[in-house]
Amino acid sequence: MKGYQGKILRVDLSNRKITKIETKKYAEYVGGHGIGSAIFWDLCKDKTIDGFDPANVVTIMGSPISGTITPSGSGRCEVTGIGVQSYPIGWYTRSNFGGRFSGMMKYAGWDGIVIEGKADKPVWIDVRNSDVKIRDADGLWGLSTWEAQEEIWEVVNKSVTKDGWKALSSSRDAGFTTQKPAVLAIGQAGENLGRSACLIHDAGNGAGQGGFGGVWGSKNLKAISVIGTGSIETDDPNALIEARIAAKNNYAYNFDDPKVGWNRFSSSPTLGGFYDREEESRPQSCMGCIAGCRARTASGLGSESSCVETIFYADFNRRKFGKQTRDAYVATDLLQKYGINAYEAWRGLEYLEKLYKLGVLGPGKEIDCPLDFEQLGTAEFAEEFLRMTAFREGIGDDFAEGFVRAAERWGRLEEDWKTGILVYPYWGCPDHMYDPRAEIEWGYASIVGDRDMNQHDFNGLYWDPTKDILGGKQPYLSAEEVTKVIAEKLVPFENNPKMLDFSLENAYSEDMAKLVSWTQIYGRFWKNSVLFCDWRWPDLYNPNAPDNSGLTGDEGEPKFLNAIIGGNMTFSEGMETGRKIWNLDNAIYTLQGRHRDLVKFADYIYDIPYDGGLMGSYYLPGIENGEWKYIDTKGRKLDRDKFEEWKTKYYKLEGWDPETGWPTRSALKTLGLNHVADELEKRSLLGKE
Amino acid sequence: MANEPKKSSRRDFIKISSASVIGLSLGALIPGGKWLENEVYAIPASQGYLLVDTKKCQGCSTCTIVCSLAHEGKQNLSLGRIQVQQNPFKAFPDDIKIDQCRQCAYPACVTACPTKALHADKKTGVRLVSPDKCIGCQRCMEACPYETSNAAWNHEDKNGHKCDLCLETPFWKEQGGPNGKQACVQVCPVNAIAFTKEIPVQAGDGGYKVNLRDESWKQLGYPIS
Repeated sequence: MKGYQGKILRVDLSNRKITKIETKKYAEYVGGHGIGSAIFWDLCKDKTIDGFDPANVVTIMGSPISGTITPSGSGRCEVTGIGVQSYPIGWYTRSNFGGRFSGMMKYAGWDGIVIEGKADKPVWIDVRNSDVKIRDADGLWGLSTWEAQEEIWEVVNKSVTKDGWKALSSSRDAGFTTQKPAVLAIGQAGENLGRSACLIHDAGNGAGQGGFGGVWGSKNLKAISVIGTGSIETDDPNALIEARIAAKNNYAYNFDDPKVGWNRFSSSPTLGGFYDREEESRPQSCMGCIAGCRARTASGLGSESSCVETIFYADFNRRKFGKQTRDAYVATDLLQKYGINAYEAWRGLEYLEKLYKLGVLGPGKEIDCPLDFEQLGTAEFAEEFLRMTAFREGIGDDFAEGFVRAAERWGRLEEDWKTGILVYPYWGCPDHMYDPRAEIEWGYASIVGDRDMNQHDFNGLYWDPTKDILGGKQPYLSAEEVTKVIAEKLVPFENNPKMLDFSLENAYSEDMAKLVSWTQIYGRFWKNSVLFCDWRWPDLYNPNAPDNSGLTGDEGEPKFLNAIIGGNMTFSEGMETGRKIWNLDNAIYTLQGRHRDLVKFADYIYDIPYDGGLMGSYYLPGIENGEWKYIDTKGRKLDRDKFEEWKTKYYKLEGWDPETGWPTRSALKTLGLNHVADELEKRSLLGKE
Repeated sequence: MANEPKKSSRRDFIKISSASVIGLSLGALIPGGKWLENEVYAIPASQGYLLVDTKKCQGCSTCTIVCSLAHEGKQNLSLGRIQVQQNPFKAFPDDIKIDQCRQCAYPACVTACPTKALHADKKTGVRLVSPDKCIGCQRCMEACPYETSNAAWNHEDKNGHKCDLCLETPFWKEQGGPNGKQACVQVCPVNAIAFTKEIPVQAGDGGYKVNLRDESWKQLGYPIS
């Protein structure tokens, strides 16, 4: 079992019992989400429980590539369990974070960690190689995520030092390290069972979706700390090193000769954010990354935050002051410290502002809220809003429920979903900027899944041409060119560019069903089980390659995995494992009560024309009048009946019962999931053939 | 988090200072040559040195991991012979510290080794460990004048080890050493590690912690001074 440590840490908080699970029992799923789902299936006996139930099983999984030189993936970590964020129920769900936790977990000798039960008082878990202790968290409870981590560093780093190297035990044969422990912690939002509470690691790595911070809070679990000095055995070190160097030289950003083009794997190491980066800063990355997407700054503000954490307050801040001020960084840091999901905070605050402007919300209003919206955009306003949410102060108790449940409490959910002022399109989860009316596969994959999918596989097909077109430039690749290049990589549905036709006419087609299926099975395996980073993978097009064909495929993802674990897994075989995991997940949803009748977007997706999003226009490739072009999707809306027809096509493609959306025995059997079919049949939830 | 020498005795201070002075004054002459000092006998200078830019580093630790992979065939931060330490809550540039072996002109680790396991390679001058001669006394670690010793303990093989500029990498087929390639240099995504044959200024950190940021870095909006 090269690439593995052979054991998964199992911690029963109720009985303070620490045991091991042999990884090889689950090795067919390779790692991450796949192993997490398989363990959840086995250990969570009643899958209909609420996420806050002590019987909820949470897995924190690495993979064979964790802690290795595999580019952009080595630092990712997958969390699974029953979530508390989605609506109307908390689906079995997943979240994923970066940094160095998964690598350090591997060096400590563990492929993953499984949390069960509920501690009788606040605790944290201290992992130093094979030495695992459940420690009282009396001094940590109430601290922010950052404070808790620093406290834990102090405790763990008290170990013996030798010439700057820290020993993890009195025996020098246990090895030395220069590193701080990697700590995953909840903030006050999680302690107070916030449904939008995150798990935070270092300054800016967060498992944001699912409300796992609240789940940990319900288990009285403040943090897990891991540090280790062990090795990851590697099947072919030379092949792995050469693959890494080739990836750098042939596909990554070329400092000497930067190519003009559309980048993903080939992006430069710069902040992927929406606020102005401080000039005095450095790029900062997760372990093993080929190009960091965050920064650390000379002011110490905003470090390690990227993407949505940076957009959360930037626009409010700019509107208030006419330009961005340091308050935007302060607000973002507060988000990380309290441990609050940035999308909930951003979209929620937008919603509150709309209600304020409608005269519905404010001091003494129908929805009595003490926030002073004249101060929206200041650090003081952000502090008050986030503190109320984290501590459930006053109306903050509603905010902490997530804004769909808050709207329901205020009797506004139906109306605000109809008008679209509450932009939460799927499962009560906030819109990601990539609206189902425009970026069809994002919306569809989210609604047939369990959450905002947050998978950017094809998202560049919006950003790249839209920026070019709005900038007055000819798109780097034409719609026909880019869809052809990508289509070659869409195994097992390869060479069908129509899958990437985002015209409204194609929105309800079997081709779109195939694109959603590809998204799910690529995501379930290569991205969330092997743990390649969503920000850099898949590499579908790359300007460094002569034909713009990116690294994804047999010479990409599997090459790194095979060099570590041995064997000759193909890209296609990995996709088939992804299909297995996706079927297993859907069996869990089915046991939780999923039925196709529930699979519906919020009303505004069908009733209100799309406004074009952040840039006012949202171009995507599509066929119009028989020709490929970039189509502005602004003004579109989805058709209810046609979407229902699409669902039927999708379920048939997956081999599931189109009447219910439930997996069938034949679909499960071909994937080696007969035991899953047996369980569904026992509960009369097996799809009809 | 500057790479400051650890607290040292006056005797240590004199040793370091004298080595530095020699490095400064004879820098161009030393490679391939020999020099003498009170207690030191004919240790040839290394024909190569690693330089790092701590303000350019993105903190991915790929250099550390590939080092252990090339040398030991395993991936392990603790076995990497170049170490990157980070504090995510500190402000740039004090959030990252890199410790790489300086292939010192006056190699305290070499002179401290009681069995000559830690020695200068005859052909290249690279300071490296012969594991079969190492008795595990760890005096090399203690002797290294830097806060985080650049001579380290391989707890799996039970011997000391240190950067050899990839002279001996059983698990990487590329030719290494001063006349070849170094794995850390090859994999660094932002080119924050460089190799030079020219002996760096020995006094202080400046010779080894260098500025590798050029116009291409400036174009990304990062500071280059």
